[in-house]
Amino acid sequence: MGEIGAKRWNFGANEVVEDACSQTVRDFLNLLVDNLDRNDARPVIPLGLGDPSPFPSFRTDPAAVEAVCEALRSSKFNHYPSLSGLPLTRKAVAEYLSRDLSYHISPDDVHLTVGCHQAIEILISTLAVPGANILLPRPTYPMYDSRASLSQLEIRRYDLLPENGWEVDLNAIEALADDKTVALVLINPCNPCGNVFLRQHLQKIAETASKLGILVIADEVYKDIVFGDKPFVSMAEFAEIVPVMMLGAISKRWFVPGWRFGWMVTLDPHNIMKDSGLVGSLVNVLNMSTDTTTFIQGAIPDIIGKTKEEFFSSKLGTLRECAETCYEEIKKIPCITCPYKPEGSMFTMVKLDLSMLEDISDDLEFCCKLAKEESLIILPGRAVALKNWLRITFAVELEVLRDGFVRLNNFAQRHSKKKT
Amino acid sequence: MSEEQQPHANLVVPTFRTEKEPKTQTQNGNGRSVWRFGGSEKAAEASTVTLRGVIFMLFDNCSKDVKKTVLPLGHGDPSVYSCFRTCIEAEDAVVDVLRSGKGNSYGPGAGIPPARRAVADYLNGDLPNKLSPDDIFLTAGCNQGIEIVFESLARPSANILLPRPGFPHYDARAVYSGLEIRKFDLLPDREWEIDLEGVESIADENTVAIVVINPNNPCGNVYSHDHLKKVAETARKLGIMVITDEVYDRTIFGDNPFVPMGKFASIVPVLTLGGISKGWVVPGWKLGWIALNDPEGVFEYTKVTQSIKQNLDITPDPSTIIQVALPEILEKADKKFFAKKNKILKHNVDLVCDRLKDIPCVVCPKKPESCTYLLTKLELSLLENIKDDIDFCVKLAREENLVLLPGEALGLKNWMRITIGVEAHMLEDALERLKGFCARHAKKTETETESLEALKL
Repeated sequence: MGEIGAKRWNFGANEVVEDACSQTVRDFLNLLVDNLDRNDARPVIPLGLGDPSPFPSFRTDPAAVEAVCEALRSSKFNHYPSLSGLPLTRKAVAEYLSRDLSYHISPDDVHLTVGCHQAIEILISTLAVPGANILLPRPTYPMYDSRASLSQLEIRRYDLLPENGWEVDLNAIEALADDKTVALVLINPCNPCGNVFLRQHLQKIAETASKLGILVIADEVYKDIVFGDKPFVSMAEFAEIVPVMMLGAISKRWFVPGWRFGWMVTLDPHNIMKDSGLVGSLVNVLNMSTDTTTFIQGAIPDIIGKTKEEFFSSKLGTLRECAETCYEEIKKIPCITCPYKPEGSMFTMVKLDLSMLEDISDDLEFCCKLAKEESLIILPGRAVALKNWLRITFAVELEVLRDGFVRLNNFAQRHSKKKT
Repeated sequence: MSEEQQPHANLVVPTFRTEKEPKTQTQNGNGRSVWRFGGSEKAAEASTVTLRGVIFMLFDNCSKDVKKTVLPLGHGDPSVYSCFRTCIEAEDAVVDVLRSGKGNSYGPGAGIPPARRAVADYLNGDLPNKLSPDDIFLTAGCNQGIEIVFESLARPSANILLPRPGFPHYDARAVYSGLEIRKFDLLPDREWEIDLEGVESIADENTVAIVVINPNNPCGNVYSHDHLKKVAETARKLGIMVITDEVYDRTIFGDNPFVPMGKFASIVPVLTLGGISKGWVVPGWKLGWIALNDPEGVFEYTKVTQSIKQNLDITPDPSTIIQVALPEILEKADKKFFAKKNKILKHNVDLVCDRLKDIPCVVCPKKPESCTYLLTKLELSLLENIKDDIDFCVKLAREENLVLLPGEALGLKNWMRITIGVEAHMLEDALERLKGFCARHAKKTETETESLEALKL
């Protein structure tokens, strides 16, 4: 026994992995779950992760389910899929995305991925040449950060400005970029801030990126989760100005993140990405990476074609109600402020006023104590690179959300500084 | 037959292939700015070793003018043939999950607990040291398992021992992760056993692992208990782990029983890769696993386990649908289904070997007893004007619309791999065409040459 234990083994951990993975959203949520009081009989209220699919109000459309069942039963989709996806699926996705655009996307520009997540993985890894850097927002969607760290792509942060409706700080972008900057990531509708960017603003971002010679990674996974007055405008509309890599998935609109079906679309009318060798490299990496499940691919035309508008509008209505409830409830709690009413995505950011609280020194302590005392999970802002803020998801059953705010209110009152 | 119905329609030639060196900067049309992103040399290097490239090239050489259906026997995907259709229990399990709505949510990075438990139970049948669910990590197919393990082991100067002939995905991912590749031979004269002396000579203090594929793709052998024990002892002596790829554990039709490498986990830490893709003939379902067979806790204290877990947290997960269905799929594994599949494969092997008796320049030195391939040696000395295995396969594709894999793609020059996981009639047809091709390209004998010369005079 001792012999094998004392033996020297030549293998070990990859330290780069360790550094990259310090503090993912999952890490923080696990920490909060560890803080839960096992003796609290109340159900845990999960306002930390954006996944409403377990809730009855957010069950996916039966037509989509049947489409997948049919594709499976046909036994025509059990095979290895083609590189970048089955042609019929790429075509269906191209047509689907083109509906909202002023031009048609070619199926050849659509590359299917295992959720939007794999698109991020492959894109970041391919862009990461030695010495390169990438511009990520603050607050961020930390998967970009983790993958950039793992690929040893230097991260430079630009701010989203809460006082300006979370608009991009364009001056910061110009100041941060240098000749090794390869791309800028823009998440629209914004996770975690909940805003939708204006057309004029998107155009300015495109022009700035073009001037700097960098590509825009437009993460539009929430593009259909828009319930405010501002219409969603895709960065695809500015592909003439700057090359755009558009990312998306069916996960949010159909409430099926577990189905793992997404895409990466190269919008490159001047063949800039192609000539630079980037597209070829992406295809090379796709060639040696896993694919999204073939029978889901096979079902996509029917998933898209057979889901009725009523399903989408009804779910969107529910989300709108949740977002409004969330915003109203936040207003009632003095120690948290929401600078901008959420109009898209499944999240909103609120600022913590620590000066109003007794014995809570930061966002992490707030969230840990909240988990322990109220069985309520909210993500500390540091997980998204904004310390002393909180990210709240409102995409849960409305009753659960209301309950959550009752508990949050109680917690806030309990910890408020007493007035003498 | 529509494009989608053809058996190889799932392989599509990519619409572009760039051979250019990736540039990091390009001038755009009006010279207004320099673009600062570009291709990845790492990606370019890694991708040169994939099978898809070779297969596409061979398909390109097939032609409509040769009035014969294209026979795609270069790559392995039996799932497109109805005789290999997966079992109804597996289909039912997935449909049930879909309709229940329980497969729609995100899951944890390592996989959902019931699925992890089901895999541990599935593997534990043959193991003396039982696995716990915590030793199991789910991946989006066995291939993704390779991606994750290599990424987790990569360190500056590290090297990894890969078999030759081998499975090119290992090479591609090793290059992409920055692991140096060192090859050891599988010995054709010893029924493809591992050249252990060779292994000892190429390993050094930077070697992290040896990859063993058992049952073996492409050779089709199943390693004996004694040989695997020797492999384990060698690895231990060298201070390296054994990564064993056992994805074909249910695709065996010979007499040698399958012995899991995990049996020797008390000698050396074993990392087992597996999945349902080959056993259940569902490569498109993308569900695999990594199992850590390590009763002494070496992976734990060397932090390899931690690396794998961390990697899984930031890597795409397998679909929740299949994960939730997995316990049912594994528990209801029907021996009759596997037996039926393996019987077809055995029949196909016998068929091909029988027909090869009439084709002297294509020799199968050892009948495979597992997997879905048959390796043959090319006797080029019997052929006229055929330079090597690639030349043979290109001409074969061009003249007969028959696609077989040149061994070069697997590291075995002048060998050739025939996929036998297809319908029997396709193999009959293929062997006829192969016979015709070889007869046409056969070197003329001396008497034949004399007769020809006589005619010319």
